[in-house]
Amino acid sequence: MAQASGSVRDIKIFRYDPHLGGSGDFQSYVLEIPDESTTTILDVLLRLLREQDPTLAFRYACRVNMCGSCGLVINGKERLACKTNVSDFPPGRDITLRPLNHFPVIKDLVVDLEPFFRKYEETLSFYEPREEFTEPLQIRPDSKERRDIGREATECIACGCCVSSCTMVHYHEDYAGPAALNRVFTLLADSRDGLFAERLERALASCYHCRTEFNCTEVCPKGISSTRAIKYIQRLALTHFKDKPRPEQPKAVPDTPPVASTDRRTFLRQVGVGLLGAASIMVVGGVAATTAVSPSLVKTSRLWVPVAPLSQIPVGDIATLMMRYDLKNGLYTQEVATPVLVSRTGSQITCFNASCTHLGCIVKWDSQWERFRCACHGGVFDRDGRVLAGPPPRPLDRYRFKVDSDLLLVEVG
Amino acid sequence: MAQDIPIEYRKPLAWGEYDPHRREGTQAGMWAWLWQRISALAIIVLLALHLILTYKPVIQFLLLLVVTFHAALGLRVILLDFNLVGVKYQRALIWGLVGLGLLVVTGIWYSIY
Repeated sequence: MAQASGSVRDIKIFRYDPHLGGSGDFQSYVLEIPDESTTTILDVLLRLLREQDPTLAFRYACRVNMCGSCGLVINGKERLACKTNVSDFPPGRDITLRPLNHFPVIKDLVVDLEPFFRKYEETLSFYEPREEFTEPLQIRPDSKERRDIGREATECIACGCCVSSCTMVHYHEDYAGPAALNRVFTLLADSRDGLFAERLERALASCYHCRTEFNCTEVCPKGISSTRAIKYIQRLALTHFKDKPRPEQPKAVPDTPPVASTDRRTFLRQVGVGLLGAASIMVVGGVAATTAVSPSLVKTSRLWVPVAPLSQIPVGDIATLMMRYDLKNGLYTQEVATPVLVSRTGSQITCFNASCTHLGCIVKWDSQWERFRCACHGGVFDRDGRVLAGPPPRPLDRYRFKVDSDLLLVEVG
Repeated sequence: MAQDIPIEYRKPLAWGEYDPHRREGTQAGMWAWLWQRISALAIIVLLALHLILTYKPVIQFLLLLVVTFHAALGLRVILLDFNLVGVKYQRALIWGLVGLGLLVVTGIWYSIY
C-alpha cells in the first residue's frame, strides 16, 4: 500500500481524559506519510485528528514557529511540533508525543502554562522605565548592553520547552526556571530599566538552582541559551554585591503562627539527603580518624616479641637473630621482620637494636675485628655499642628484654 | 451532559515520566553534570579504600582517574560560570578538559611507576 516515496510510521500519543482522571497512557496510531521531509509533526497531529481520532487534543496557532503554542516532548526531547519534520527521525522509528513536563496536563497534549507565567511575574519580568520619556529611546546596536543581550535572548516565544527540559524545576519548587530568568537577564542588562536591584535580588535567589546542565539551551527552538543568561545574572552578583543593603521591610505579622508544613515526599527526600551526607562524612571521617588521628592519641601497647630460645644463643659471641611481628598503624597492619643483635657473655645478655643511630641502616657484626659496622656511612661501634668511628651521634640503642621459661623476649613498640 | 462533569487536571508529568525516548534525548551537558555527581560518590568510596588498603596501585590509579575526571568537569563549570569560555563551547570543553585530564593522569602515572 505504501508508495515508493511514502512510508508508514507508528505514532504513540499520550492520552489523558480530564473527565476520567487517572494518570493517562499512550495510544498508538499508524499513519501513512507520503513525503516525510515536508510533513511536520503538527501535520501528523492534524491528519490524525481529521482521519482517525476526533477526540485528540493539542494546541497550535501559527504553524510557522512564531507563537510557541505547540511545544511537545517529541521522542524524548522538547521541540515545537510545527518545526519538527517526520524526516528528522530515523526511518521506521516510532514517534512518541508527550505533553511538556512540569505543567498540569489539561487534556492529552495540552498543558496549563499558568505556573510558567506566574514565575514570570514573581521574577518581575516586565519593563519598568527608570524615567518617563516622550521620545522613543534608542539603544545603539554596538553598545555594550546591546551586545551583552545578544541577538537571540529577546526572541523568546514562551513555548515552555526549556522549563520542561530542566530537571531542576522539578526538584526546586521556587526555581523560576530558564525562560523567566532569560527574560530577567534581558531586563537587567538594559540600562533604561528602573527595577534593577529588586529584580537582581529575586533572580539571584533563583539562579543558584541552576546546575549548568544546558538542557534548556539544547531544546530552545529559538536558539536562546538560558544558561548563558543565568551565568550573566550570577556574575552581576559579583559586581553588585556591595550595593546598599536592602532596607528592612516591615514584615506583616501573621495572625496565626505559621505551621511548618512538610509533606511526606519532601520529608523523605530531606531525610535521604541527610543520611547520604552523614554516611559520606562518617566513611571519610572514620577512616581519617583511625588512620591519621588515633595513632597519636592511643598509647601504642608495647609488645613482647619472642626472639629465640636461650639455648640457641651462643655464649661469648654476638648472634644476629630475626624477629617478626605485626605492627598496627591505624587500619594498616605492617609485617615487620628486623634483626636483633644479641650479645651474651656469661650471664650478661644485651639486645641491640640493629638500626644504626645515624640514619637507620642495619649494622652487621664483624666477628674478626669485634666491631659493629654500618655499611652505609662507615659507622663503627664496639662490642658494647659505643661509637668508635663515623657519623653516628650516639651508641647503639638497646631493647628491653626478658627471659620467660628459656625464651628470650624483646620489647618493641 | 459532559459539561456538568467536573474536569480534573492531571498533575504535572515529572521529567522522564512516561518518556520511552528520554535517554536518547539526554544531551552531553546533562551527562557531564550527572557523571560529575557519580564520580563524587566514587571518590568518597575510593578515598576510604585508599586509606584502608595503602599502597595498592589499582586503587591509587582509580582514585587518580576519578579525581581528575571530577576536577575536569568542575573546571568546565568554573570556566563557564566566569565566562572565561563562551557557553557555546560547552560540549568541546567536556571532551577537551577530560582529555587533558587523561594526559595529566598518564604523565603522573608514568612519572611514579
